[in-house]
Amino acid sequence: MRSIGQSVPRLEGHAKVTGSVEYIHHLRLPGMLYGKIHRSALAHARIVSIDASAALALDGVHAVITIQDVLSLVPNPYYGPAFHDQPILAHGKVRHVGEPVAVALAVDPHIAEQAADLIHVEYEPLDAVFDEIEAARPDAPIIHDVLKPAGMFTDLKHLGGRSGTNVALDARVRRGDIAKGFAEADRIFEHTFRTGKVIHATFEPMVSLAEKQGDGITIHTASQSPSFVRAEVSRLLGWAENRVRVRTAFLGGGFGAKLYIKLEALVAVCALLTGKPVRIGLSMDEQFYTITKHGATVRIKTGVTDDGRMIAREVETYWNGGAYADIGPRVTQKSGFTAAGPYDIEHVALDNYAVYTNHPPAGALRGFGISQLVWAYERQADIIAREMGIDPLAFRRKNVLREGRPHATGTVVTDMEIDAVLDLLEKRMDWRRPFDRGTGVIRRGRGLAIGLKACISPTTSVATVLLYGDGSCALHCGTVDMGQASDTAMAQIVSEVLGIQTQSIRVVRPDTDVTPYDMATLGSRSTFHMGNAVRAAAEDVLAQVFHIAATSLDTEVSSLECVDAEVVSSRGARMTLREIMLARFAMQAGTIVGTGSFAPHYKKPDPATGQSPDVTPFWMLGGAGAEIEVDTETGRIEVTKLVNVADVGRALNPASVDRQLTGAAIMQVGFTLFEEMVFSDGQVVNASLADYKIPGFLDVPRDISAGYVEVPHRNGPYGAKGVGETGVFSPSPAIANALYDALGVIVHDLPLTPERVLRAIRQAENRPLGDE
Amino acid sequence: MKNFELVEPATIDEAVALLDPDDAGVRAIAGGTALMLMMKARLFEPVRLVSLRRVNGALRGVRENAGGGLTVGAMTTLTELERSPKIAAALPVMSRALHTLSNVRIRNVATLGGHLAHGDPHMDLPPILLTLGARVRAVSRRGERWIDIADLFVGYYQVAVARDELITEIDVPAQPAGVHTWYAKFAALSADDWPSVGVAVWYRTDGERIAEARVAVSAATEMPLRLAGAERALVGNAPTPQTFAAAADVAAEAIEPVADIRGTAAYKREMVRVHTRRALAQALHTGRAAR
Repeated sequence: MRSIGQSVPRLEGHAKVTGSVEYIHHLRLPGMLYGKIHRSALAHARIVSIDASAALALDGVHAVITIQDVLSLVPNPYYGPAFHDQPILAHGKVRHVGEPVAVALAVDPHIAEQAADLIHVEYEPLDAVFDEIEAARPDAPIIHDVLKPAGMFTDLKHLGGRSGTNVALDARVRRGDIAKGFAEADRIFEHTFRTGKVIHATFEPMVSLAEKQGDGITIHTASQSPSFVRAEVSRLLGWAENRVRVRTAFLGGGFGAKLYIKLEALVAVCALLTGKPVRIGLSMDEQFYTITKHGATVRIKTGVTDDGRMIAREVETYWNGGAYADIGPRVTQKSGFTAAGPYDIEHVALDNYAVYTNHPPAGALRGFGISQLVWAYERQADIIAREMGIDPLAFRRKNVLREGRPHATGTVVTDMEIDAVLDLLEKRMDWRRPFDRGTGVIRRGRGLAIGLKACISPTTSVATVLLYGDGSCALHCGTVDMGQASDTAMAQIVSEVLGIQTQSIRVVRPDTDVTPYDMATLGSRSTFHMGNAVRAAAEDVLAQVFHIAATSLDTEVSSLECVDAEVVSSRGARMTLREIMLARFAMQAGTIVGTGSFAPHYKKPDPATGQSPDVTPFWMLGGAGAEIEVDTETGRIEVTKLVNVADVGRALNPASVDRQLTGAAIMQVGFTLFEEMVFSDGQVVNASLADYKIPGFLDVPRDISAGYVEVPHRNGPYGAKGVGETGVFSPSPAIANALYDALGVIVHDLPLTPERVLRAIRQAENRPLGDE
Repeated sequence: MKNFELVEPATIDEAVALLDPDDAGVRAIAGGTALMLMMKARLFEPVRLVSLRRVNGALRGVRENAGGGLTVGAMTTLTELERSPKIAAALPVMSRALHTLSNVRIRNVATLGGHLAHGDPHMDLPPILLTLGARVRAVSRRGERWIDIADLFVGYYQVAVARDELITEIDVPAQPAGVHTWYAKFAALSADDWPSVGVAVWYRTDGERIAEARVAVSAATEMPLRLAGAERALVGNAPTPQTFAAAADVAAEAIEPVADIRGTAAYKREMVRVHTRRALAQALHTGRAAR
């Protein structure tokens, strides 16, 4: 049976559309309390007092929890994957609007909501800072008195105890001699590009429940990282990890929002303090105050020779991390080191700053910071190409990073099909065809862009494959299927090894009491890392099966193969998997357990230069081509064609790859054209789906397609690489490059709202729109 | 959310008896698409909701009235209006606008009465009904009255319907043969977003000249309103691009734009200019007989 490379239908597809799959959102526990969070109305303030008396007087209210209660259980209540800087509830001060200050627990969600409103908090306001550039200045209001890096990442240790700064991390890359590079350049280009804050907008908002069971606790949570939640809650409580059970179900979207600790520590503490199960589920508007994508300011300076080669590039990026670090410092460093793009540039200097501000915390959002950087370097690429009189595609071909050449980090690039991606983009865009740009009110343009990501490293995945007495099979793996079809892909790998039909393999939902460790479902890492672990676990089962069959059939293991749930010898003798189990356990009983684990090799970069011989397990490369129509009287852009191309190594499930690339691209179209959180004094003005619009079906470009290049990666399972984020890298600059192609106007900031575009057009026409 | 009373009267009389002239917490609820959003945002905390679900038969549907126009029951859903052959034949401008009004899920439950009673300036039908010369019937224990659509909108989310009144039907008069109509909706964000600017136009030509004209704007202003200056700039002139551009300039200068996340005041003013001109030009291609 060949499963790999087949567009096997989704295992959970039927159950999802018929409404029978489990979501944590629907879970109710007997006797549970509903928690509603009272949130800060101020962006930066000292808490003078909290008065919960009116809330407690309300019928049906069980308790109001504040940090004082938390401290009785958790003396050091600060958590976070990179820094231990985020308190379970506000501790002495609040650092952003919407920060959880107290929780009302009641027998009914509406009573809890009413009680949360009745909690009165007195504040002493402090100066707040929101812009990442201003916050990085030495005279800015200081948001955290002292930096508190977590122990998990050794390369952050040196930051511990640093005070008087909002810069949580500065990460640098140095290659060649940047001053020499600019001195040798014939032309130097310098621009500043910005992106605003956007959110994941998962349709299942964050939700967690906790219940005390014996001397342990069970947390049911819509989480992308059950293993991390277990470790972090254990650390906070001072418990062994085996006393904390974290289980999840299918997620109604994740996109990086449901990573690390979100509500889990809070529900755990509430359940332990009250002795009752507790559920906290956020409303859509609360998500806007929980986690966002980083806004960023990217200053990019590039030196080019007269023949169109980039020889020097300096990029300085300020990442608006919001009030708590979350995974921001990782975004800053691990994405920041790709800021020079997929280009072969001799002299490179990259500086990345993770900056605390009084906005809601920023973390991972599909692409982990990459799209902010691609926005800058691919926008600039087209400006350079036009100024130098070179076709944008030819300019890229002249400069791309090819196999065997060192990346800016010093890691030699392998298994990245950059020329093939450009060739496919050229073909799909019909790039050589003359293009009609129009002459009237509606103008047309086309553009393309390519983006690079290094898969985050080092991370570990472990999987278990079980063969039951009747020959049926289950896979225990901690990869969370949040819509990306990972269950199906993992089952296909088991199917490929054991010759069992993909649909008949049971994929057990992540549960830390059952499923082995997995770092998290993030950063397009699962197919590669968990895929390798699953393959190894299935091969472990296969080895045991062959051993039993070889004995039973009196043959050599080397003469056996597994086909259609049967082991077949080269002489034609056959045993079904059930017969093998009977041979081993003498009745329909027993379990064969196979395990596998995977952690890629990795070499930590030198902190001073960012240099490493082995910085990533695989490079992800994505390209996009866009054709647009722009209404020159309104500034409204319509994307008429969008092509997304990726180097995927090997498509385990082509239909899933297609949907991942296309879905990611549509998400990025929203971030490109209209999605933006609008703030006023730290308050999100449009914190609802009524006013924060995401793309609907009518926003999907008329002609949208995905294409991929398959050259198997040497270390990937069956050659596969991750693909969940690749589609977000390039659409923004591709669309803006198309605008540039149509009208020659430059918009430095995302999103390209009609007003922003019209203002740029009118500016270029020297009749600017007023500031009324 | 606090506890509140939900009542489901069976008749209009029972429904209006349950309304309260003095309590802002008592409101009628039809489709609930707007009211529920306000409740979720805790902008509105009801004491009593008077559901019109069971009354709905008496208030639903499109029928021809004595004057040759159409009368629409207040509980008629926007989808029913969108698919009504009577509306399509007599008021094509309305059918067309309904196709892109929010999305199909909203249109399936939102009602025309609720759409008008909400007083949200970002709605699509108010400017159209302003140009069509509609009126609404309001019923209370005190009796009933007709409110001219031009008098219905009195401010930001404010309508002339009293707390104890219920909109029961909407009358749209017969339109003159050959009248030219268009509604230009401009959404700045997603395709199914509320408009950043909405402009409805209506004009009748007599020979070579425009004899009568109506121009209404919404979304850009604090409430939907007619623009008399722009109308005057049209009447007596030939329906040419020059006339349309001149009227559009008057429209743009006449309004006091309200800035929001869908555009600054300067941008909205500019969009009123562009879309008034475009709507006037588009309308010229319409104008089949109303009956």
